[in-house]
Amino acid sequence: MVQSAKARPSIWCPGCGDFGVLAAVKKAAANQKIANHELVLVGGIGCSGSIHNFVEVNGLHALHGRLLAQAVGVKLANPALTVVAAGGDGDGYAIGMGHFMHAFKKNASILYLVMNNETYGLTKGQPSPTAPIGFEGNVEPPFDAILTALSIPASNFIARTFSGDPKTMTAVLEEGLRFNRENRGFAFVEDLSPCVTYNDTFKLWREKVVDVATLGGYDPTDRKAMFRLCLETLESGRIPIGVMHRPKETKPEGLELKLLPDRTGPLGADLGLETNRPAYEKLLAAVV
Amino acid sequence: MTTPATHTTPLTPEAAPGSSRPPMELADLSVMIGGQGGDGTLTVSDLLGRYFRKRGLYVYTSRNVLSRIRGGHADASVRASRDPIAAVKSQVDVLVAFDNEAVEMGGPELASHAFVLYDSTTFKLDLPNSAGFPFATLVGGPLGQPIFKNTAAYGALSVIFGFDHTMTRQVIEERFKRRGGEALEKNLKALEIGRKVALESAGVPDRFSLVDGDAHDLVLTTGNQAVALGFVVGGGRFFAGYPITPATEVMEYLQRYLPPLHGVVRQAEDELAAVNMILGAAYAGARAMTSTSGPGLSLMTEGIGQAGTAELPIVVADCQRVGPSTGEPTRHEQSDLSHLANLGHGEYPRFIVAPATADDAFLVTADALNLAEKWRAPVILLLDQALCQNTVTVPKFDLAKVRIDRGKRLTAEAVAAFAEYKGYSFQDDGVSPVAPPGTPGVWSQSTGNEHDEWGHVSVNPTNRIRMMQKRMEKMAKARDDLPAGRLFGPATARVGLIGYGSTSGPIREAQTLLEARGTPTRYYQARTVYPVPTHEIGPFLEGVDVAYVVEHNYTGQFARLLRETLPQYHSKLRNIVKYDGNSFRAPEIIAQIREVS
Repeated sequence: MVQSAKARPSIWCPGCGDFGVLAAVKKAAANQKIANHELVLVGGIGCSGSIHNFVEVNGLHALHGRLLAQAVGVKLANPALTVVAAGGDGDGYAIGMGHFMHAFKKNASILYLVMNNETYGLTKGQPSPTAPIGFEGNVEPPFDAILTALSIPASNFIARTFSGDPKTMTAVLEEGLRFNRENRGFAFVEDLSPCVTYNDTFKLWREKVVDVATLGGYDPTDRKAMFRLCLETLESGRIPIGVMHRPKETKPEGLELKLLPDRTGPLGADLGLETNRPAYEKLLAAVV
Repeated sequence: MTTPATHTTPLTPEAAPGSSRPPMELADLSVMIGGQGGDGTLTVSDLLGRYFRKRGLYVYTSRNVLSRIRGGHADASVRASRDPIAAVKSQVDVLVAFDNEAVEMGGPELASHAFVLYDSTTFKLDLPNSAGFPFATLVGGPLGQPIFKNTAAYGALSVIFGFDHTMTRQVIEERFKRRGGEALEKNLKALEIGRKVALESAGVPDRFSLVDGDAHDLVLTTGNQAVALGFVVGGGRFFAGYPITPATEVMEYLQRYLPPLHGVVRQAEDELAAVNMILGAAYAGARAMTSTSGPGLSLMTEGIGQAGTAELPIVVADCQRVGPSTGEPTRHEQSDLSHLANLGHGEYPRFIVAPATADDAFLVTADALNLAEKWRAPVILLLDQALCQNTVTVPKFDLAKVRIDRGKRLTAEAVAAFAEYKGYSFQDDGVSPVAPPGTPGVWSQSTGNEHDEWGHVSVNPTNRIRMMQKRMEKMAKARDDLPAGRLFGPATARVGLIGYGSTSGPIREAQTLLEARGTPTRYYQARTVYPVPTHEIGPFLEGVDVAYVVEHNYTGQFARLLRETLPQYHSKLRNIVKYDGNSFRAPEIIAQIREVS
């Protein structure tokens, strides 16, 4: 048994919502029987983006806001890997917003887990794109990632969870991982993960969250209905959690399959000149 | 600082010669075709190039287009020579003008013997050495559309140069066979229409004659195509890019080449995504590259820094254009070097390699992938617009010269024998053996933060020093793996020339002209520009009295880098710079050399 990088003690404050996420990720991966070496955890920048250090799997610590682009690169280079990108709301919805929108369009089978705490904790509590009006002088209305996700037509999996409900979170993450491993496309899970130091919303969120499945008209295969349901729930002062979208069809539509229909192995494997010589000679002969 | 000479040859036509005058034989000729974007000037240049190649001549074509889809002045030049060429000829022998602006633009470039062929549908020229035919009208009637005027002009050109008629038609057949049927038929008719009016016009037929060459076993290509092919044969399997002139063709070629080899090409949402996607792919073990130009490079800078610190093997092709900011997207410059040598915040190793010609770009690109993977560091493939986009005849791409070296990449079997697997283990050569993620039984951490051998974040000062040294020392340790410079001209020459990239074409041409004038020169063609190959340039400078550093920027960036790294030769180095958006013509270089006898 080769000794690989050990899990490090976390850097999070006691009581941080991210602990719930870490536990749920580990449990979901174990339940799905994903071996340590098969899982790549791509971390963003921020408190939550350090999560890959606290698990014994492959970790890629990306640049601020760029974790999705790097995660897509990993997945396309080796579709056999299970790829989870995990970061915060500042990382994903501010500096990384362009990649966030395009991740739905690309639809590579990776799981994107955003730990939303409405603040930039690591830099000591500035308002993030999801911060409510009034938080630390914020005058801009908050951004809702679930509504944005629902507005992009693509076959994907969209959910919101709450760190105060680890059981549901584990189940949702498991479904997202299964969705990915069946090459069905992009899975997006936003977890409400309070920052106990700069924006302790545990109590508030526990009161406000509502399981969408309990609401009338819930049908996660009906994008239009879910958009209305989520919007109305938000407007009524509640926060909808649960699975917001899963495609009706179960066919594999992941980007990796569209681009590489005939292979699942890594792109880096067979680069030898000899094995490729006939193809190369044909290519070069076409230049006249 | 020296500034380039500009062409001031006025439009001074001779008196009209009689039809009995013998043709002027040209062993090195240039035809410029100008008009509005959409006039089909590039097609004429392409047709001429094909014809000249059938005659065994070396061909070099360039284009001058605006950054817009249609309209605006556009011109194309095609040069053909019995000798190898990789530069624009300093003077134009025949100008084809579809409008008056083309005459104004091309006028200063004309040789004293030049002939002007123009489309007289919309304007009239009062020049003795010219012939105007209403090509648009002539083809518009019988063919229904004026767009065939360019092929008619090609027909008239075939008369001016006394082309072989069968070969002239073959060129049209080859060019339009894929479009087939009607397109081919109409172009053949247009050819005959242009040919007929020219033949019937006194003073037009056989103004010039071509000599035949023996350059038959060549390919006509561009640097961008060569980079794409070099990437493929070098084992490149993942490419992500964002459209940007003059680099886009690399992505377009790879969109054709890679999928059949199970490779992946992605057009990303921006350059940030492009560089980060290749970082992810490189981390996962694929050979990965992006191509861009100045503005995209600025955006990619942070990602290239991660490659440096996280030791991820990526290749970034920079097709330099006029900067800064949006600059001149379609025009030539070499002004990114200072930026690249100091790229990004913080310090990290990087290798900047610079092929000189298209056939060299093929090999250097393939080798850049080896360099990146073996030394686990970012490699910049430094190109320029002229090299990327001008077409040139070069020897066939040689697969036998390509090699694959994956360095210390670990197999599953090899890593299974380890007691501990550390992705950033300290090693004498600074390169840690790495197994790609997915290798059974092992995993590792990769980060752009400073880290320990395990890849865990560390701010330990002792570790910081060792990790910095581990990474930075790669630049010196990789020396023997970096593309070696090339020397041209006699070792006894006292005058030196230094350059990289596409300046090799005009520099070598200048060498030939200077030699004939009694001033032999020695030319050092840098193929690695950073780290500066002092072990090559030092001895080179030792052997000459003076060395001119020829480059396309205002401040003499490469010369400055040489003065900084080789201060003992400071007094020997002189600048020859040009920054007007055009590539050097050989006489412009010669004009700046004070030692010319």
